[in-house]
Amino acid sequence: MPTLDSKPLDYDVMIVGAGVAGMESAASLGDMGYKVALVEKNSSIGGRSILLSKVFPTLDCASCIVTPKMAAAAHHPQIDPMVYTEVDSIVRNGDGTFTVDLHKKASYVDFDACTGCAQCEIACTVAVPDQYNYDLVARRVAHIPFPQAVPKKAVIERHGQAPCTHTCPAGVKPSGFVSLVRAGRHEQAFHMHLADAPMVGSLSRACYAPCEGECTRGDKEGTVHIRAIKRYMVDRYYADHAVPEYGPVENQLATRVAVVGSGPGGLTAAFHLAKAGHQVTVFEAESHAGGMLRHGMPRYRMPKEILDRDILNITALGVEIQTGTPVNRIAELKAQGFDAVYIGVGNQKPRIIPIEGRELPGTEIQDCMRFLRETNVGDELPDIKGKHMVVLGGGNVALDVARTAVRMEAASVSILCLEPREKMPAHGWEVEEADEEGVRICAGGATKRLYRDAEGQAQLEYLKVGTIEFTEEGKLKSFKATPGTEQSLPADIVVLAVGLGPSTDAFRDELGLTPGGIITVDDQTLQTSDPVVFAGGDAVLGPSIIVEAMGQGRRAAFYMDRMLRGEAMDVSFGDTLEMTDKQTVLDTSKSWRPVAPVALPVRPPKERVQSFECYEQTMTEAEARHEANRCLNCGECSQCQECVRVCPAFCIDFDMKPKAMQLQVGSVILSTGYEILDPARKVPLGYGTIPDVISGPQMDRLLAPTRPYNGVLRPSDGKEPENIAIVLCNGSRDHTVCNPLCCRIGCMYSVKHAQLVMGALPLADVTIYYIDIRAFGKGYDEFYEQSKGMGVNYVKGKVARVEQLENGNMALSYEDMEGARGLKKREHDLVVLTVGFLPNTEPFKLYKGGTLDADDFDYVRELDPVSEPCCTNVAGLFAAGALVGVRDIPDTVLHAGAAAAQVATYLESARAN
Amino acid sequence: MATKRKIGVFVCHCGGNISDHVDVEKVVEGVRGEPSVAVARTHMFTCSDSSQQEMIDQIVEEKLDGLVIASCSPKLHMFTFRGMAERAGLNPYQYVHVNLREQCSWAHTGDKIGATEKGINLVRAGVAKCALTVPLSALRIETQPRALVIGAGISGMRAALSLADMGLSVFLIEREASAGGWVSETEMMGPEGMHGPEVIRALLARIDAHERVMLYTEAELIERSGTIGNFDVKIRLRGSEEIPLNVGAIVVTTGFDTYTPVDGEYGWGLDGVVDLKQFRQMLTAGPLVHNGKPVRDVVFVYCVGSRQVKSEACPAPHAYCSRYCCTAATYTAHTLHQVAKQTGQAVNQYHLYRDVRTYGHMEMVYEQARQEGALFLKWKPDTPPVVGQADGRLCVTVKDELGSGDSMEIGSDLVVLVTGMVPRLNGDLNSLLKIPLSKDGFFNEIHIKLRPVETVIDGVFIAGSAQGPKTIAESVASALAAVAKAGKLLKKGYVDLEPLVAKVDTDKCIWCDECLKACPYGAIEKVVCGDKEVAQVLAAMCKGEGACVPVCPYDALDVEGYRDDQITAMIDASIKEAAIA
Repeated sequence: MPTLDSKPLDYDVMIVGAGVAGMESAASLGDMGYKVALVEKNSSIGGRSILLSKVFPTLDCASCIVTPKMAAAAHHPQIDPMVYTEVDSIVRNGDGTFTVDLHKKASYVDFDACTGCAQCEIACTVAVPDQYNYDLVARRVAHIPFPQAVPKKAVIERHGQAPCTHTCPAGVKPSGFVSLVRAGRHEQAFHMHLADAPMVGSLSRACYAPCEGECTRGDKEGTVHIRAIKRYMVDRYYADHAVPEYGPVENQLATRVAVVGSGPGGLTAAFHLAKAGHQVTVFEAESHAGGMLRHGMPRYRMPKEILDRDILNITALGVEIQTGTPVNRIAELKAQGFDAVYIGVGNQKPRIIPIEGRELPGTEIQDCMRFLRETNVGDELPDIKGKHMVVLGGGNVALDVARTAVRMEAASVSILCLEPREKMPAHGWEVEEADEEGVRICAGGATKRLYRDAEGQAQLEYLKVGTIEFTEEGKLKSFKATPGTEQSLPADIVVLAVGLGPSTDAFRDELGLTPGGIITVDDQTLQTSDPVVFAGGDAVLGPSIIVEAMGQGRRAAFYMDRMLRGEAMDVSFGDTLEMTDKQTVLDTSKSWRPVAPVALPVRPPKERVQSFECYEQTMTEAEARHEANRCLNCGECSQCQECVRVCPAFCIDFDMKPKAMQLQVGSVILSTGYEILDPARKVPLGYGTIPDVISGPQMDRLLAPTRPYNGVLRPSDGKEPENIAIVLCNGSRDHTVCNPLCCRIGCMYSVKHAQLVMGALPLADVTIYYIDIRAFGKGYDEFYEQSKGMGVNYVKGKVARVEQLENGNMALSYEDMEGARGLKKREHDLVVLTVGFLPNTEPFKLYKGGTLDADDFDYVRELDPVSEPCCTNVAGLFAAGALVGVRDIPDTVLHAGAAAAQVATYLESARAN
Repeated sequence: MATKRKIGVFVCHCGGNISDHVDVEKVVEGVRGEPSVAVARTHMFTCSDSSQQEMIDQIVEEKLDGLVIASCSPKLHMFTFRGMAERAGLNPYQYVHVNLREQCSWAHTGDKIGATEKGINLVRAGVAKCALTVPLSALRIETQPRALVIGAGISGMRAALSLADMGLSVFLIEREASAGGWVSETEMMGPEGMHGPEVIRALLARIDAHERVMLYTEAELIERSGTIGNFDVKIRLRGSEEIPLNVGAIVVTTGFDTYTPVDGEYGWGLDGVVDLKQFRQMLTAGPLVHNGKPVRDVVFVYCVGSRQVKSEACPAPHAYCSRYCCTAATYTAHTLHQVAKQTGQAVNQYHLYRDVRTYGHMEMVYEQARQEGALFLKWKPDTPPVVGQADGRLCVTVKDELGSGDSMEIGSDLVVLVTGMVPRLNGDLNSLLKIPLSKDGFFNEIHIKLRPVETVIDGVFIAGSAQGPKTIAESVASALAAVAKAGKLLKKGYVDLEPLVAKVDTDKCIWCDECLKACPYGAIEKVVCGDKEVAQVLAAMCKGEGACVPVCPYDALDVEGYRDDQITAMIDASIKEAAIA
């Protein structure tokens, strides 16, 4: 290993940025025998030049020029290319060496295993603007940047997690199945959902869909109807597959797990445990599996055949469900040979409140669970025809009871709750639907007593609530009823839906419980006081929604599996990226515009109270795909897992993390290139608003061998342009955008464009609007003269404005300074803006512990450009190429060669000292 | 042939460069049936990393012992594919390059059938040649850790110092009596405003102090022999003393000359018509006076001797742009403004230009000149400014293209001709070095982007304005780029040369000396072999050019890689049947 001043060095030189300059410096230094680290933040080396069509003035194809340099750098025994890697800091040490902190970004693809076969790219369901085609077309999120990439490896670009996916407590990835449905792959959509949560059908009906609450479009014209998309997907799948396509996993283990309770949490735990190979038995006290989904959810929301089909997803794995089998002691399970137990008994113990007059004969007081259970699984429905019902409570369960009763021809159904209507714990839409169906909502009322009126009708008397206070979490703290505000509701039946408690009485001796009966667990692992017993769902959380219970079942299964395998428990579960910022998504999403959501098919209230049939209906495929198309791909990667499914090398790894490194190097060359000025800053020229006004770099892509449209076509309508305007100096030599510098290469690449266009479209007219034609290099002026000979029309004059005409063409307003003179207008059908360049100011942030000097225009300053090119104010830190001023390829190659010589002399003198 | 060859043929689309004009699939079909061809297929870019990897995999899997790649010019990618063959474990000299791009698609655009047919024939010939290849290994030459730098202008001085700093010994020779070149005569250098003589003095001090740099002034190269890594050169000092030196590399930094206008060109020869260098010297001498009178009006004429169009008056035009002059002239405008301010003179400046090419950061020099009141008037080559005399002053007539469009007359005290750079006449040096010249007459590099400081003479590098017009900073950058290439050659201690050289069949040879006379490289010598005298090829000097082969009356010479049997087989293969039925 080379050493400098006896300190071990990882590399003699680190080169930051592997464009033409970086590759050239690297090859020169490698050839001289120095050990080189070539760091590139993109996934391929090659920089901007590899994206060019051809190069002036020789019209060699850019690949022919750049790929030899790429290959030389990539295969050099002395050069380590480090792609997809970013430098975080560069610090100069006292002995003249440098300490560089850097990190390899998470590519989510194992580069060692990836063969560059592009299967992931073909399968990927999310399209984003392709920066390698300057946004002219889309690329997939899983992508190989361009055909000549070195190394040719796929990366999955992720900037965070979509809000919908980030928010789902069950770990379901709505972004994924939405993008799959959009791609017409509903079967895959189902399978990827199944991998996270098996009760797909139930969720498509009964989930309260917190994802929709987070949808970025929700703040705009309305959320993407995620649950409706799921319903479409699952209905299609279940229609085609009456039973699951799979059986028990291979490699069954000998370990046995008991799951107590067959609610959504217990079944989810059972599913994941069985997939991990454990033998799982579910014990259910009731006669049917499903827990609250079965007993608590009315059938108009949760059709029982869907639930039955969902349960097959679990039992197909070999999970045995023993119904009618209450578990009273954990010790008994252990005695039966179970190695671990999951308790998911839920919250089914009704809270009973005393009501004055409750002994009133002829009035029946019921608990909500009994009522719902009887209506859901009883042999016949309780007869409440013609009776008046009052439901006490303002939560979702109360609403379920009331809306069920409406469907059973009760004479009247009222809801009485303490909270004012807007503070009712139930979802607003549910209250509204109940209202539509004829439920009387008496919000803000406190029960006083039951009595019988003069006509003998039982009445529930209540008072108006005057003041009510809630805790910060939104729970009821206290209230005061206002005396003298008595009112009454007819009440033959009173259903108490004022809260449910955990059904954990049986375990009081065996597990640690709170006084309220909540099972105490470790927050991370859900392990109870008994290390082989885990618990989750409502019995741990209190009243919660089904996705939360499922999330807990899955979490517990993860740790139970680890415990059973004897693996460490102090690992994290469900580690995810940060949620993307919605505003950033809207700001950067070029395609964002309001798109009205599909109106979900719903039966009218009068019709729907006639039966227990679902009142929501399933979208058609067209509707579902339209709806899925509204998704903004907030996380870029939707995590649809298609890449994982198709990758023949098994190299996709969504758990990949950025890898930090620290390297000691003898010197550093910065060769991070330049930025392209956004031509949209020149507002009157129409870039970004008129589709056929494109930038110079985009024109290069249209002409490249790997061109996006396979021809020179204008973007708006694919027409071959016949009369092209190339406008020079947009944002260069221009004080209006604070960039007075000449871009140095715009004239030449535009002359090249003109020549190439004339080659590709021999009949097209090309006009170049210019200030000065700066054809100053070897062979450049001859190239310019040649273009004139080919018939390119040169107009000396600045273009002031570009307007779109009705026929789709553009009118250019310009001053003709040399010909006929005066202000003129001319029509063109494609306008190319030759854009200015800006310095890349990234290096100034990287150098720590001092200041890297900039020139007046924020390029890195060369201390003495006349006799010491490439030297910055920091000894040992050199700059090569466009970083000190934009330049063409020949000048860049020479400058980078000079940087290599400067590094060599720096290292030699350091060694000599 | 002892055993059947297994050759892989890979045909490149070149992303459309080839496949738009040649049906590459047909080319593949055309050779697939050849008995020695084991694999034939196309690639979008054979040069891309992934295609190379696929080819390597196929070479290994199919145990190929020959390789034909039909793509672009071997000038671009021969070394790329040789390297690839080596990585695949195949001898690099058993790879044959066929040039479909230049020889078919570019030469026969618009005739796809014809281009395809020719492509098939060329690839068949390549296969035939490949089948007769034998494994060869490179000739390894030790390199001497010494360099010769010719020309001690700023580029040469800077190159010499850098080479010496890398640990090499450097001989820096200068034809003139002192080092420093043009820069030592330029007191105000734009755009940074540096003082040329001071820059040179500082470099000279470093050279004097450097133990590994030896500067010879009034020195000329008079002999050169040997090859890359090991050149024998002779230097003549002060016209008499001769010093033999042995060096591993030569860096040529002989610079440029300025264009001298012909008499009458833009008034050249008239009193008060000067070139830019003369004018700048006038500016260093205090108040600007001409013929004892303060100067009030100065006209600058740009592009004198640059961007010339061929005409009767100018039969050998300098068609190129000299690139530095716009910046130099606009910087001079600023200097003139400063001088006038200091001396309290009011000087009007008129700059007659064609395009102002103050590229990049140098735009600010131009902007400053305009802000300081210099007037810029554009003229076109068909109506150039005319410089004459009137009323005892100079008078310049120019058609103002951007203003009124009318001709106007500008009375002036001085007319400054902004002359371009022209190739320096180097006497015998060019014939000694044998570096090809570009059509502009400057030294030519191998490839402006791929190998910009290397020449076709291995071990001889070019830098600075000897290669073409450059600014000072650009010249120095190129000088250091040449240092990097020379340094790589000399620091490694050896260089591998092509083994594709001539060889003598000593049974047939009777030493008639025809080959010695034909060889332009002096690569043939006479040796005794057994009982007779025969020719022997000095492999390091042989370029594989083959001039010796046809002149040999006894058929005793062959060039490896282009052996008679290979060429015959190529001809047979390419004419044996119709490529496209």
